[in-house]
Amino acid sequence: MSATEHPTAGSEHPSAGPDDAENETGHGGTAVGSTADGAADSTAEGSAADSTAVEPGTDTAARRRTHPITPLVSGWKIVVGIIAVVSAQNIARLVNDFSVTKALIGAGVILAAVVIAIALSSISWWFTTYAVDDEGVSLHTGVISKSREYAPRARIESVSVERPLLARVLGLAKVRVEVAGGGESYLDIEYVKSVDAEQLRRQILGVAARAAESRSEKTDRDTADDAGTEGAWIEGAGIDGAQFEGSRIERNGSQGTGPQGAGSQEAGSEGIGHDRTGTFQNVLYDGVTDGELIAKIPTGRLLRSLLRDLGFLIGTVMSIVGVLVAIGLAIWQDGLSFAVIIALAPTAITIPKYIFGRIESGWGFVSRDTDRGLRMRRGLANTRTDNIASGRVQRFQLRRPLLWRTPGWTAVSVTVAGIDDSDENGAEHVLPVGTSEELGATLSHLAAPLGTDDDLGTLEHLMTARARDIEGLRTPARPYWIARRTEVTVLLPGAVIHRSGVLARTVQIIPRERIQELTLQDGPLARRLGVLDLSVGIAGDTSLDLSGLAREDARALHGALALDARTLRRYRDRDQWPQPALGRLSATPTQSPAPTQSAAPAPDELLEDR
Amino acid sequence: MARRARGDTMVTMTSAPDPTERPTASMHVVPTAPTLPDTPDGLLGTGALRPVSPRLVPARYVASIVGYVIWVLLIAGAIVAAVLTDLWWLAPIGVLPLIILLQSLLLTPRRVRAIGYLDAQEDLTIASGIMFRSVHTIPYGRVQSVKIDEGPVDRRYGLAKLTVSTAAGGSTVVLPGLPKQEAERLRAMLTERGLEIMAAL
Repeated sequence: MSATEHPTAGSEHPSAGPDDAENETGHGGTAVGSTADGAADSTAEGSAADSTAVEPGTDTAARRRTHPITPLVSGWKIVVGIIAVVSAQNIARLVNDFSVTKALIGAGVILAAVVIAIALSSISWWFTTYAVDDEGVSLHTGVISKSREYAPRARIESVSVERPLLARVLGLAKVRVEVAGGGESYLDIEYVKSVDAEQLRRQILGVAARAAESRSEKTDRDTADDAGTEGAWIEGAGIDGAQFEGSRIERNGSQGTGPQGAGSQEAGSEGIGHDRTGTFQNVLYDGVTDGELIAKIPTGRLLRSLLRDLGFLIGTVMSIVGVLVAIGLAIWQDGLSFAVIIALAPTAITIPKYIFGRIESGWGFVSRDTDRGLRMRRGLANTRTDNIASGRVQRFQLRRPLLWRTPGWTAVSVTVAGIDDSDENGAEHVLPVGTSEELGATLSHLAAPLGTDDDLGTLEHLMTARARDIEGLRTPARPYWIARRTEVTVLLPGAVIHRSGVLARTVQIIPRERIQELTLQDGPLARRLGVLDLSVGIAGDTSLDLSGLAREDARALHGALALDARTLRRYRDRDQWPQPALGRLSATPTQSPAPTQSAAPAPDELLEDR
Repeated sequence: MARRARGDTMVTMTSAPDPTERPTASMHVVPTAPTLPDTPDGLLGTGALRPVSPRLVPARYVASIVGYVIWVLLIAGAIVAAVLTDLWWLAPIGVLPLIILLQSLLLTPRRVRAIGYLDAQEDLTIASGIMFRSVHTIPYGRVQSVKIDEGPVDRRYGLAKLTVSTAAGGSTVVLPGLPKQEAERLRAMLTERGLEIMAAL
């Protein structure tokens, strides 16, 4: 592992910036984005590409290239980009003085651009190789400045397969490997054949799952958690550094041997052996054919859900009116001319694009429960499939706009460390618009239970009841009169839940074992009103802010959550979850004795708190 | 701790009478037993926390000498300008630097006294601020990185600044004014305990 090679990586970046997740990736040296490290390797050890003995993929598995048509696809993108930029700036002039010779010259230039772009893409394609082996995924790119990206298996969060329109026509797909860490922490393998993409995805997930297995197996808690986080220890200012580094190397060494021993399990053959379920079916349904069906969104429901989303409707109508007014003004001012229309075209295009994006985000949405977590497929023009491993979710956000209350639909999005994909179409939206049953199924496959008698009923209650009818903590301060009526914080045995929103109701669920950090904030106004703000930090970008709680409540909640944060541990695998899943689909909730939080930790985790 | 949780978190749960009926709202576990003291006129958490080194007060004064000089020059400039140009309203321009200067001079000791930390059995608590006070609690198992900074002034006073970060988005917690040995001890303890009970994400 390269972490052992660069023991001083930490001291190169002494400042722990605000984006510590990025630090984590950088310092681990075993992570995506270790471009500089990789380049340094190759120069230090001789320029031969195969001299990186530390890097996986060279010895165990053969490095592979992406599909040979890739240059056509990526080259085409460059050409379209150039044409778009050039023509957008000069189209009015071009139209005004149009002649055959000029058209021919233009065509020639474009042709030349195509050839050059494809040639360049070919070169870069030639130097792009990837490899998947027991240790992770590595991707080498770059002609002049080479970069070697590497996703160690312990840190692979999810794998998604995307099919952009052009690539789909050619039967290609892009495989994206998401790695824990902030920002753009992913590897894109583009493009491979759709069938291969499916197989690749399985293979990578198989490798990643082995990491989780070996982790969960180990009784030794020191090394039980992921190697990535260990790599994240940053050495402070080099004081006492040598000693600490020594321990870290040793640690990495033990990491190296542990998983390999466990790695010889069935998981290896499983990943590839799975693939014989018929390639045709795989291509047709993007591989989302096996596993228990969790949610499937009919097109009718999707369209009705959009029509019932007031925010969406109002936004659309407002922007259409705005564009129409703008066009009308422009025409009224300058008269109707081609140039005006061209100038307004981008504005006019954005609305259909937005609407289309919303439609696409739920079009043909299918999610299934696989052995690798929740697997989702969606998209109209650009189909994509995502994978969210169970037990990696830091936070759930349930949203129910005003008019979705009658049919009882809910949209669920999640926060997963490493997936920074917050657009409408992204992997974070695990359920674009789901019924109550689908909500329960989705949640039960992604999270540990909330610990109530009837989790689904509780959630439904939290979504439907008026906030003042929900028992929980709310602000006592009169000046926050809206929050007093609409916001409530509920502490369940398994999670902290915050309900907010006036018309569109939002319920945020944070599993209690995910809490990273707690901050109590006090100010002059808060002191006068007798309230405190509590912010619950989770891995990911934002924290849950519970503002304006009564001082006593806030401190009590702080105490309870701080206890959770230091004692409860995450559950890596669903097998370790203590309870049967959410009481989904079952009208009769399991009459288990009321589980308190003490029911949650597995036995060895109980031992651990001391 | 689970032992404690069983003891005093009160689960006020009336058994839901009918599954089809929506459950009563009594799922809420009432959190009890606040751990942070909060006296009416004192600062949040004081009493339970350990203070940082009082040497931080002179260290902060020394560190901000440059700033003081600039503020004094600004005040003097405003007064001189007002006197020379006979434009009386130029003088109040010096009020803002004066306020900044005075609050820094007067409040620094209190600010330093307001900083507190506690390395408890399982987590680290860091508090700071008088008016706008924030209390951070970080379990050892969640610590992602620990850093010690020693500026030139800090080093002269034998102090160090500890920066702790977790995986929570963009959150680093800074604890200034630790004696050097104490900072070293905390760092070693945090790294050691962190590896020991690593709880990851």
